[in-house]
Amino acid sequence: MVRKPAFLSFYLLLLCTSLATAQQGTWVTVHIENNSTGEPVGSATVQLGETTRSTASDGSATFESIPAGLHTIKVSAVGFVEYTDSLTKYARENLLLSIPLSARAEQIESVTVTGSSANQKIKQAPIRSVFIDTRAVSNQAVSLTELMNRSTGIRVRQNGGIGSRPEISVNGFQGKAIKYFKDGIPIDYLGDGYNLSALPVEMFDHMEIYKGVLPVSLGADALGGALNFVSANKNINAFQGYYEIGSFSTHRLGVRASRVSKDQRWGYGGELYVNYAKNDYQALVSVTDPQTRNTYPERVNLFNNAYKHLLAEAYLSIKNRTWTDELKFTLTGFGLLKEQQHPALMTTPYGALHSKQHTIAPSVRYKLNLLDEKLRIDHFSSFNVLKSQRIDTLKGSYDWFGNFTPRATVGESRLPSDSRVDERQWVNRTNISYLLSPSSKLEFNHVATHAKRKGEDPLGPTLQGTDIDVLSLASSYNKQVFGLSWEQALFGDKLENQLMGKYYVFSSSGYQNTWFSTDVTENDKRSVSGNYWGITEALKYNLSPSTFIRGSVEYAYRLPERDELFGNSVFVVPNFELTPEKSWNVNLGLSTKSAPKLTAEVNAFYRNTEGLILLVPIQAPNAQYQNQENVRGYGLDLDLVYRLTPNYTVNANATWQDLRLFGISSAIDAWKNDARLRNTPYFFANAGASGKYGNVFAQNDKLNIFANYNFTREFYLETIDKDLEPGGFLGLSGSADLNSSLVIPNQHLLSAGATYNFSGEHLTLGAECKNLLNKDIYDYYRVPRPGRSFHLKLSYKL
Amino acid sequence: MKVNKLTATIMVAVGLFASCVENDNPVNPIDPDPAASDKYVLITMSERSLEKPGYASAFNELPSGDVVNNASGSLQGLGFGGWRPQNNRLFKMFNTSAAELGIEELKVDAEGTVAPAAFIKTDQNTNGSGNFVIASETQGFYFDGANPLDIQTFDPTTMSRTGEIKLEDAVNERGVDNPEILFRSVGQKFLVVKEGKLYANISYAKTDGSQKGFWDDYFPEVYLAVIDLESLEYERTIKIEDTGSIAYINDNNMYDFDDNGDLYIVTQGISAVGGKSKIVRIKAGEDDIDSSWSLNMDDITEGGKFVSVFAKEGKIITVVPNTVLTGGPSGNINDADVWDFYQFDIESKEKTKIEGVPSVTNPGAAFCAIEIDGKVLLRVTTKDGSTNGYYELEGTTAKPLFNVTAGGSVSGLYKVSQE
Repeated sequence: MVRKPAFLSFYLLLLCTSLATAQQGTWVTVHIENNSTGEPVGSATVQLGETTRSTASDGSATFESIPAGLHTIKVSAVGFVEYTDSLTKYARENLLLSIPLSARAEQIESVTVTGSSANQKIKQAPIRSVFIDTRAVSNQAVSLTELMNRSTGIRVRQNGGIGSRPEISVNGFQGKAIKYFKDGIPIDYLGDGYNLSALPVEMFDHMEIYKGVLPVSLGADALGGALNFVSANKNINAFQGYYEIGSFSTHRLGVRASRVSKDQRWGYGGELYVNYAKNDYQALVSVTDPQTRNTYPERVNLFNNAYKHLLAEAYLSIKNRTWTDELKFTLTGFGLLKEQQHPALMTTPYGALHSKQHTIAPSVRYKLNLLDEKLRIDHFSSFNVLKSQRIDTLKGSYDWFGNFTPRATVGESRLPSDSRVDERQWVNRTNISYLLSPSSKLEFNHVATHAKRKGEDPLGPTLQGTDIDVLSLASSYNKQVFGLSWEQALFGDKLENQLMGKYYVFSSSGYQNTWFSTDVTENDKRSVSGNYWGITEALKYNLSPSTFIRGSVEYAYRLPERDELFGNSVFVVPNFELTPEKSWNVNLGLSTKSAPKLTAEVNAFYRNTEGLILLVPIQAPNAQYQNQENVRGYGLDLDLVYRLTPNYTVNANATWQDLRLFGISSAIDAWKNDARLRNTPYFFANAGASGKYGNVFAQNDKLNIFANYNFTREFYLETIDKDLEPGGFLGLSGSADLNSSLVIPNQHLLSAGATYNFSGEHLTLGAECKNLLNKDIYDYYRVPRPGRSFHLKLSYKL
Repeated sequence: MKVNKLTATIMVAVGLFASCVENDNPVNPIDPDPAASDKYVLITMSERSLEKPGYASAFNELPSGDVVNNASGSLQGLGFGGWRPQNNRLFKMFNTSAAELGIEELKVDAEGTVAPAAFIKTDQNTNGSGNFVIASETQGFYFDGANPLDIQTFDPTTMSRTGEIKLEDAVNERGVDNPEILFRSVGQKFLVVKEGKLYANISYAKTDGSQKGFWDDYFPEVYLAVIDLESLEYERTIKIEDTGSIAYINDNNMYDFDDNGDLYIVTQGISAVGGKSKIVRIKAGEDDIDSSWSLNMDDITEGGKFVSVFAKEGKIITVVPNTVLTGGPSGNINDADVWDFYQFDIESKEKTKIEGVPSVTNPGAAFCAIEIDGKVLLRVTTKDGSTNGYYELEGTTAKPLFNVTAGGSVSGLYKVSQE
C-alpha cells in the first residue's frame, strides 16, 4: 500500500453543533463525497483513531463514543486519493463532517478495478452495469431477487417461494445466456448453493448487473449479460448478525465477522447463513374430485415445498507482504435440501419428492501489485466435488390436500429416482493488468473450467437392452475464455475507450445415444471441440462533469453448457452436435445529474442473436437441446431518481423491449417472423418512495419508511402472431386478441416497510409487508408465487 | 371549404385505390355467422415442444385456399398435437390449459368460439392415461395409469368418471410370476368398442420407469381383453400374433372401421422404427382377430411401420415409409418427408400410390386421413412447410383443398353440427 500525502485542505463543515445537548456529545458522522461531482462515495474506509467504519451508499458513516481530544482521521476509497488529517473534538459536541475526495489521476485504473468495493465509478464505466447497493438495504427484510426486480431492464422470475430456482432475464435474454460471478469469479462450481432467492443481502456490498457487454475481467461466454456479486468489505474489523422471521415459516439467520490485524498483515473471518422456509403459502390449484375425476379450482396450502439452506465461508488472508498484497485461503461450503411440490407445471402434487446438494470448495486467491502499482496480478483457483441427489422413492401419491394413497410402484413423479451425481470441478481465473500510462491500460484475463460428471441411480434409466446405468457413463467438459482489453482516457479524460477481444475454446466428451442405442459401444462416444473469437468496443464521453454518454458494440459467443451437451440422463438426452449461440450487442446510454435533485439515465440496446439453444422434443418422451431460434430487437430503459427533500426520495424506472424472431425460413413457421420472443415480458416498471426521519422515539434514532410498486405487462408463454398483439402506444393498451390460457396477465406488486435504527446505530429493526394487495402473481406457467406476507428482521452491526 | 374539398378528394382517392387492390388475404376463421349450423374446426400445433402448443379455429364452411388458424379470436392452448373427435364432439387427451393427461372436451358455439370445457383428469406419470373410447351417450371407457389393472368408466354426457372395471385377473392370466415383467396395464394403448364388446390391450412391459409402455413389450404377441358391454364382465383374451406393440399412446387411436363394420387395427411392431408392424382386423360379426388376413409392413418395405389407418369401402389409406426409418437427433422418422400415401385394396392387398400428393412427415398424433362431408381428406404436411393442410382424395389422386399458412402444422379437422 502506498500512502499518499494528503493534499486536500481540511474541509470541515460544522453543520450541527446545535445538536449538542446537556448530554455529553459522543458521536461523529462523516460524509464522504466525490470532489468533482459531489456524489456520495460509498464503501470508503474511514478510520478515526482506533475505530474503522465503512461508509454506506449515501457516503456516510457514524462513530459513537468518541472522546474529546485530538484524533487522526484517514479516509480511503478505491479510485480516490487517500485522505489523512487530524481533528479536535470537544466535549458536549457532536460533529458532522463533510470530506471531499479527489479521484486518482489514473482514472482508467480506478474504473476497472474488479472485485472492488462500491463506488460511483462502476456506475460510470463505459461498459454499463446496473448497480444494486445491497449494503444500503441490508436492514430491510428484502431479498436479492426483489432488489433486482426493482432495477431497470432486469426481471428475476421464480417458480415459487424461497429456494425455488430463479431465472434472470436481462434485456430479454435469459437462462444460460446470463452468467454469474462472485468478485469476478464464475460461480457455476457452487451449483445451487448460490441460489439468488436464498442468498442474503448482507453477504454482499453490492451487485453489478451487466447488460450485454461484459468487462474483460468477467471472463465468460455470456450473451445477455452477467451478474457479479461483490462481497462485503473484509478489510475492516466488523461484525454483523441478523435474524429474520416471516410468513410461511420463514426463518433467516446470519452472522458475518471480519478481522484485520493492527499491522494490516493478517486478515481472517467467516460467515454463516441459514435459510429455512416452509413455503406453505396458499396457491390456486386445479383439484381433482376423487370420484368424478373432474377438476375444479381451489386455494390450498402447499405442503411439500420447504427449503433448507446452510452456507458458510471462512478465510485467512496474508496481506501487505513484499511478495503479495493478499494471499487468501477460503473454504466455502453449503448444503441444501429442496422439497419439490410439483413438476414444472402445477399439475401433480408431490408429497415427498426432494433433492439435496452439497459441496466443500477450498479456494486460493493471490493478488500482487508491482512496479509502483502499474502491474496487477490477480489469480484464483478452486477445486471441488459438487454432490447432488434427487430422491423420488415414495410408493404412493398425494393429492393437493395432503392425503396419501399407497401404490405398488415407486416414485411420485414420472421419474422415480435415487440418484447421486458427483461433478468434479476445477476453476482457474487469472487477471493481469498493466498501466501503460496514467491514461492507458492493458488487461488480460483467462478463465478455465474443467468438469467431469459421473453418478449412479438404481431407479434411473439404463441403456436399452442392458443393465448399464446411464449416469455411470462419465462425461467431461472443458472451457477456456481468454480476454484482452486495451483502455484509454483521451482528451483530458473526457473520452474513455475500451477495446476487447475474447477467444473461446471448449471441448467435451460423452456418449451420444444413451437413450436410443441397444448396446452402447465406443462408437457412441463423442468428442467435440470448438474455438471462436469475439470483439467488444466501448466508449464513454463526458459531456460535462455531471453528464455523460456511453456506448458499446460486441460480437460474442455463448458456448453450449455441459447439461445441454450431456443431457440430464433422464428426459433430456445428449446432443453433441450443438453449436454456440452468437450475438451482436449494441448499447447506447445517457446519464445526467444536471439538476441537483434529479438523476436521470436513459439507455437503449440492440441485439441480434442467432442459434438460440432451446429444449425441444425429439422421439417421445425425450427432449434435447438444439439450436433453434434467431432473435433480434431493441429496447429502452429509463431510470429517474428525484430527491424531493433531503429526507424524501422518489424513484421510478421503466423498461420496454421489442425482441422478435427472425430468419425463419420454414413456410410452416414463417408467420412467427417478427413475433415477440415468447415467455419474455416486454414492458415492466417500478416506482418507489422513501422517507427518513431522525429523533423519532429517542435521541439519535433513525426511521426509514419505504414503498415499492412493480408492474409487469402481460406477456405470452407461447408465440403469438404479431397481428394479435395489443395495440396502443408501445403495445400497452388492451390485451392480445386471442382466447388463450397462455397469456400471463398484467401484474401489480406492492410492498412496503420500515426500518428503525435504535440510538447508537448498532441495532436495527426492519419490517416489511410484501404483496400488500395480496394479488395473484405468477412467473412461469401460472405457477403462483406467495401472496401477502409479513417479515420482521433484527440486525446488529458492530 | 377548400379543406372539405381536399378531404373529399382524398377520401375518394383512397376509396378508389382500395377498390382496385386485389384481396389476396388468406381465409380467416371466426366470421361470426350464427345462422351457420355447422362448424368446421381446425387445430394446428405451433411448436414442437413437449407441451404441444397450438391453435383451434372454427370455420363456417369447409376451408379452402390459404387458411390462417391463429387469427383474431382463435383458441390458443396446449396439447394440440392431435385430437380424437367422436359423435359430433371434440375430445383430446391433453387439456388445453396445462397439457395434463386426461380427457378434455372442446366446445364450439354458434358464434364459432372454440373453448375448453369439462376435463377428466388422470395419472400424469403414465403415458396412455386418458386413452378413451365412447360407446354411447352415457357410456365411455378410459385408461388411468393410477389404476393400471382397471378400466375406468365415464359418462360422456356429464363428462364424469362413474366407476371402473376390475381386470386384474384377466391381466394375470399370464406372466404373473415373471420377474422380467415389471409393469402391467390394460387399455393403455388400445380401447375400441365393437358390436357390444369392449376390446382393451393388455401390456406386459419390461420397464416400469418413465417410458413404461413404449417399446418394452415382453411378449411378441399383443393381447386384447374382451369385455361384454352390457354386463361389463370380462369374457376372454384374444391375441395378435408376432408383432410386439399395438398402436401408440396419443390421440391417434390407430384403428378404423370400414363401412361394413370390419375393424382394422395398427400394430407398430417391435421397435420405435418398426419391424413386424402390421394391420390386422376383426371382421364384422366376429370377436377375434381374423387370422387369415393381415397387411404386413415387412412385406411392403424393409424397416418400416404403420402409423395410421383409414378404412373405407374395402380400401385402406395409410402412409408407408419410402426409406429405412431412423431415430435419434438426425433421424428421419418424425421430421423428414419419408412417408408416402398409399391405398391398399383390402382383399387383394394390392397397393396403389396416391398421385398428386408429396411425401410427408409422420402424422404423429394426427390422423393421416379423415372423412368430412363425404370427402376423404389427407393430412399433408412437408418438412419445409410449403405444404401444410388437407388434400381431397378422388380415386387414387389427391388435390389440394386448403393450406394453412399460419398457426403451425395441421393436426386435425372435424365438422361439428350445431344442435
